[in-house]
Amino acid sequence: MRVLRRLVAQLVSWATARQDEKELQAEIEEHLALQTADNIRAGLSPEEARRQAALKFGAVEAMKETYRDRRGFPSLERLIQDTRHALRRLRKAPAFTVSTVLTLALGIGATTSIFSLVHTILLKSLPVANPATLYRLGRESHCCYMDGFSQKDEWSIVSYDLYKYLRDNTKSFVELAAFQDLTPILGVRRSGGVETAQSYPGEFVSGNYFKMFGVGAYAGRVLTPSDDQPSAPPVAVISFRLWQERYGSDRSIIGTVFNLDDKPFTIVGIAPQGFFGDSLRNPSPDFFLPLNMEPYVDVEADLKLPFQHWLELIGRVQPGVNAQSIEAEMRVNLKQWLQGHWAQMSPSDRAKFPEQTLYLGPGGAGITSMRERYELWLQILMMASGFVLLVVCANIANLMLVRGLERRQQNSLSRALGAPVSRVVREPLLESILLSMFGGAVGVAIAFAATRLILQLAFPALPGQAGMPISASPSMPVLLFAFVVSLATGLIFGISPAWMAARVDPIEALRGSSRSTPRAGSFSRKSLVVLQTALSLVLLTAAGLLTSAFGRLENQDFGFEQDGRLVAVINPRLAGYQPEQLTLLYRRIIDSIENIPGVASASLSLYSPPGAGWGSGVFVDGHSLPGLRDDISSTWNRVTASYFEAVATPIVRGRGLSERDTADSRRVAVVNEAFVRKFFRDEDPIGRSFGARPTMSREFEIVGVVKDVRYFTNGLDRPTGPMYFLPAAQADYTRSAGALFLHDIVIVSKPGANISAASVLQAMASVDPNLPVISIHTLHSKWPASSRSHGSSHVSHLFLEYFPCCWLSSGSMA
Amino acid sequence: MKETDVRQGTLALMALKTLDVLGPLHGYGIARRIEQISGDLLTVNQGTLYPVLLRLEQEGSIASEWGSSEHHRRARFYRLTRQGRKHLQAETRSWEQTAAIITRFFAAKVEDLK
Repeated sequence: MRVLRRLVAQLVSWATARQDEKELQAEIEEHLALQTADNIRAGLSPEEARRQAALKFGAVEAMKETYRDRRGFPSLERLIQDTRHALRRLRKAPAFTVSTVLTLALGIGATTSIFSLVHTILLKSLPVANPATLYRLGRESHCCYMDGFSQKDEWSIVSYDLYKYLRDNTKSFVELAAFQDLTPILGVRRSGGVETAQSYPGEFVSGNYFKMFGVGAYAGRVLTPSDDQPSAPPVAVISFRLWQERYGSDRSIIGTVFNLDDKPFTIVGIAPQGFFGDSLRNPSPDFFLPLNMEPYVDVEADLKLPFQHWLELIGRVQPGVNAQSIEAEMRVNLKQWLQGHWAQMSPSDRAKFPEQTLYLGPGGAGITSMRERYELWLQILMMASGFVLLVVCANIANLMLVRGLERRQQNSLSRALGAPVSRVVREPLLESILLSMFGGAVGVAIAFAATRLILQLAFPALPGQAGMPISASPSMPVLLFAFVVSLATGLIFGISPAWMAARVDPIEALRGSSRSTPRAGSFSRKSLVVLQTALSLVLLTAAGLLTSAFGRLENQDFGFEQDGRLVAVINPRLAGYQPEQLTLLYRRIIDSIENIPGVASASLSLYSPPGAGWGSGVFVDGHSLPGLRDDISSTWNRVTASYFEAVATPIVRGRGLSERDTADSRRVAVVNEAFVRKFFRDEDPIGRSFGARPTMSREFEIVGVVKDVRYFTNGLDRPTGPMYFLPAAQADYTRSAGALFLHDIVIVSKPGANISAASVLQAMASVDPNLPVISIHTLHSKWPASSRSHGSSHVSHLFLEYFPCCWLSSGSMA
Repeated sequence: MKETDVRQGTLALMALKTLDVLGPLHGYGIARRIEQISGDLLTVNQGTLYPVLLRLEQEGSIASEWGSSEHHRRARFYRLTRQGRKHLQAETRSWEQTAAIITRFFAAKVEDLK
């Protein structure tokens, strides 16, 4: 208690130091005066009386020193003195200070910026209640659809039927929620409004989704299990972002009716600020709809199909429950569910039954597909930025050593006068730490700008839609990281000059300046130069290798042309088109766009490069049935007649698709070279037939072979997989309608012509004003947006260019 | 324990006792009383009293205020606080105990210690 009291008193008197000093002086004066007066009374002469009084009092300055030490915090005061001194010295060398701070800022900025990405993508939990008690199904995400009764390696996505079975039979979950893996783009129109439909992503979630996350509504209410009934009135929860940006934070929006894909939904609540759903993704959903409304919105509903797997699961467990025991419980449930569907299972599914299993993983971070995708890249970048920082440290340590040499004389003098080693060492250390702190402060600003740039490049947001839910502004952990890194940096490059200062011999000051030529520092300086060169070489080599690797990736033969091509994305479903109207609609779109001056041709497709395609099995007519475990997968795309010309993919054999392939003629397909390699080996594929099911192996006749195109199902760094292309006119919409409407329009401009987005919008409006154009971009700029892996490599590239610049600037400065 | 620690500890105790007996006093007054009572046995520089007083004040055992001295000059007067009195009593007790133990020890004969 008394210690605490004393501390408070010390704090107070530290603040009032000047006043106290005066009072002490007055007190001493008074003491001496009284003693002198007494001495005079005892018979001494006034001078002698005063002298005796002073003698009796003792050394005034020494006493004052003790008094001061006791009054405040002497070590703190000395630290402030030293800091002030260091600041003065830095101000006296502005060129050195500015260049050092800038170099440090670049190094610390780069590291911090990468760390802020590492933090949000790899480390952070979802903004929900108590994320530690959440578990998710599956170790990896296997987006987005799977059918049948067997899954490779593990069950990670489930059907609604299986979800209900697991929910009702797994006792250890407090709440087990299901939600769609995809966020489908909905055509959104406020009921009664005059505006055209806007497109925003939505997500179907189970009724207990918000309850499971422990998330309440910002206003209104969240979805409840009673909303998630087939007979319940259709309701939806809107995202805070959309409510704020599009509807001006108007609370009266609650209770109004919105048409989502032309189906009326009542908005019952606004999701809390910062809640972006179950996974970090671009774009995050703006509407949360009950799962049971899926058949209401989508004609080809997945909800009622027990074999159609499209839902991710996250559950909250009771605290203290062992995840492994739940996992075991769920495995048993899975097997029981599968046995319940034995009659519907294919022979292949039955053969794979014994190895069907599932895993439960931590769910606090949600569905971490982003994490899986970027982990390696971020690790590489983090390492690279660490290296850059080391090089920066080595460079600055060298500079500091030179400065230390200049101060050698002064240091030895200080030592000779009795300064303790700790005080002499502290000076260069303080100077280094001050420099690195300034560098850190500027670095945080640089990191903020750099993170924004990276986010924009890697995850561009479509206009009006939510981008990646990652904020560039530094959070507390990021600031802390920057601070610790700065401190560590300062210590690292401050140690050698401090060490040198500690070894100064006080005798040197006496020998005079002519003898002070440094010898002691030369060894450490030489080793520093060696270290510096080694680090720089490593960095340069790594940067060079990676740059050339990326160069090869970017300049490889993709099998399609990127220049002079625009892609406009539409969604005919949003405007309520029916399958039978499509052929005419496609014809009108192509005609209208080809009428724009400067347009050479236009073509529609389900996916344009480098977008993915749909997957299917391949059964070749005339081949024996593949084994149950054989890989017979291929991706496919549906395109209009002039598609290959539009993306300039060369036809290697046979013919491309043409206007003659109509709904009434023989079903045809064009395949790529990889398809031929996989399914035909030495045979001639032209004229052969195949189908997506064993019973329909005569469905498509192969009429041509095209060069391999690098689509993104495979990833840029992997070999091209088999693909087949079907003509739009022969589409079979009876099985799955809306999702298979063509949505990418590839527009080819004449050489030298420049086609504006406005002219495309105008042309589309003349086709149908209610048909929204979701986005328009060049085929080239589509890269970072649609290709995740390429997006990240693009960013890494950017950084690896930035690092050598950093190095060069610090090197040249040295 | 360093010699100065002992001396400062006793000095603090003596200052407290002086204030307890004589009531509010200025620094010089305290120094003179200590000198008078201890005679020349305790030869301290009077200046060393002030850091001790500061410490006691920081701990809350004494309080100080500015008043006017017998020569009508500004002087700082120290007085014992209630907490200081308690502190003094505790210290006195512990001092007496220690002294008693030491005395008994020194009075002990050889056979007592065997």
